[in-house]
Amino acid sequence: MTTIQLTVNGNAIEPTVEPRTHLADVLRDQLDLTGTHLGCEHGVCGACTLLLDGAPARSCITFAVACAGAAITTIEGLDEDEIAAELRTAFAREHALQCGYCTPGMIMSARDLVLRLDDADEQAIRVGLSGNLCRCTGYAGIVRAIRAVIEARRQRGIAAVIGAGRTSLGPVGSHPNTIPTTSPSMPVMTDIKLSSGAAVATLDVPDVIPAKSFDASFTVNAAPEQVFTLFGDARTLAACFPGATITDMPAPDCIEGEIRVAIGPLAAAFRGSARIDRDETNLSGRLIGTGRDQKSRTSTSGQISWRMVPIDDGRKTRVLLTIGYSLSGPLAQIARDGLVRDLASRITTTFAQNCDSYLSGATNQAARDQPQRLNAVGLLLDVALSRLGALVRGLRKP
Amino acid sequence: MKAASFNYERPKSVRDALGLLAKAEGEARIMAGGQSLGPMLNLRLVQPPLIIDIASIAELRTIEHDGDALVIGACVTHADIEDGRLPDVTHGVLPRIARGIAYRAVRNRGTIGGSLGHADPAADWVTTLTALGASVQLTGAAGQRDLAVAEFIQGALQTALRPGELVTAIRIPSLSSTARFGYAKACRKPGEFAHAMGAVLIEPDKVRNRIVIGAIDTTPIVVNDSSLFGGATTHLTQQFDRALADRLLMQAGVTDPAARHIHVSVLARAIAEATA
Repeated sequence: MTTIQLTVNGNAIEPTVEPRTHLADVLRDQLDLTGTHLGCEHGVCGACTLLLDGAPARSCITFAVACAGAAITTIEGLDEDEIAAELRTAFAREHALQCGYCTPGMIMSARDLVLRLDDADEQAIRVGLSGNLCRCTGYAGIVRAIRAVIEARRQRGIAAVIGAGRTSLGPVGSHPNTIPTTSPSMPVMTDIKLSSGAAVATLDVPDVIPAKSFDASFTVNAAPEQVFTLFGDARTLAACFPGATITDMPAPDCIEGEIRVAIGPLAAAFRGSARIDRDETNLSGRLIGTGRDQKSRTSTSGQISWRMVPIDDGRKTRVLLTIGYSLSGPLAQIARDGLVRDLASRITTTFAQNCDSYLSGATNQAARDQPQRLNAVGLLLDVALSRLGALVRGLRKP
Repeated sequence: MKAASFNYERPKSVRDALGLLAKAEGEARIMAGGQSLGPMLNLRLVQPPLIIDIASIAELRTIEHDGDALVIGACVTHADIEDGRLPDVTHGVLPRIARGIAYRAVRNRGTIGGSLGHADPAADWVTTLTALGASVQLTGAAGQRDLAVAEFIQGALQTALRPGELVTAIRIPSLSSTARFGYAKACRKPGEFAHAMGAVLIEPDKVRNRIVIGAIDTTPIVVNDSSLFGGATTHLTQQFDRALADRLLMQAGVTDPAARHIHVSVLARAIAEATA
């Protein structure tokens, strides 16, 4: 727990918070300032907008610890504010609210527009409100209300203020030289989650019908039969693939394992099992696997099929891959094929290089020391991870 | 949702931040304004054991001149740039781009360094700063290095940051008064992330064009010559080779013809603006 100093609506307070607690929760749960509303909790809906050092900010994606030393104004703190009073009157007159859920955040953004916009341009107001969602009014009354307040104030000779008067650089709310006091008595227990209840899926790998699929290919400087053999040996295959660990092989064609992947700030560990089928006549095969990331509670299943095509009179091999995958759970909410491809192509490149160097005799030491790098499931899981990226895109602020 | 538990450190200096980063051995995440990382934490897409909050480090909230170039500290916000709280060496390009990023409430905390470090392909700065020929200053225990933005961004959410390194500043070269810039993006709603993005820089003094196609789920497409105009240097709008742009997008993995059409149309708007 961490104790921070805040000024909330003019009152100095010292709440003790967990680092993970966002500002809105501290205001609502500890200070009973429930005028700040929570909608999406990922920065999109605008209901939680309040003033941090006088400037609008999202209190749901701003952690309270990050605001040590800041001045916070909630909707409750605007009772005596001149602009807010004018907005309240105009909102009531123009039917600018119905259920009222968006209204506190709407007033915060509206007040900022009244301060900053030179004139009551409807387009500028609408763009300025694009980060505050209202599902009742269709915005018409809200825009009318804000226009009226801006027009009235400019007519009274009150000019717009660039940046609402802010002069210092850097994120609002983050104050240099204010260091929160942390009591070391409450260690974060993230590891416990990892080790608890992480039951490995059973070995019974069902056939899967992938929701998405795409092709990839690469060339290896070895004969098709050699490459085919490599693809049939799970431990070698795994050694070539980044991020995978085989934990058990109950049968030659059955694998239990884990794959850890990371894209930027995203990291996941999928545990599961896989089965390899081989067709020696056609130098083809497939790996079918399922896995689950305990942290994100996301499951994936997928299939990687391969076929070895001789090129250069059989001295080289073109490896043709078809990668199919399905995801279910929180990470599956948003999909973008492009990200998956981008990621898979990078993974395929690394994998191809590793296969090449393995087959060319330069057996990589890592492969011997830890012969547990599981590959094909890796691809599935990487694909799953890239979905993480996709989901984040849906949330992302550019 | 609420974020999973994490430990939190708020270093006073870059030096302290680098120390914490090294000690965490890859397990820590850097947070600046937190406007991209915050949502990911809340949705538990990211569950790092340690967050290192650099937003209050004073030396990252400064600007300085380096010859003609402007060096912007990593923790300068989009709103700082939008409002003109720093000198503009780009004849209005930077403030104009900043104004179009997400929402004001986000711009008040979101930072230019955080945006680049996050490396979302649809981020305005990724495409814009590539077009402007900006570079990123990376600081690690071993010292500083500078990388062109085009080299720094290595894929969707992937950068050239090495373990233990931090984005500390962005270097913006000044534009000559004759330089022309065009920019367009397609969003379903203002402030939402872009589905297509194009930036065009024409520098008659240097007989140089740079065209960047962004928001394509991988590194931006950068064209540094006149090939998109069939080699022409005048009447570029009329000379714009849409078929070539389409092929470049195809090569970059944009397989959906409708998506390519949007990208090409958005780029055409950017070209039209730059040549108007």
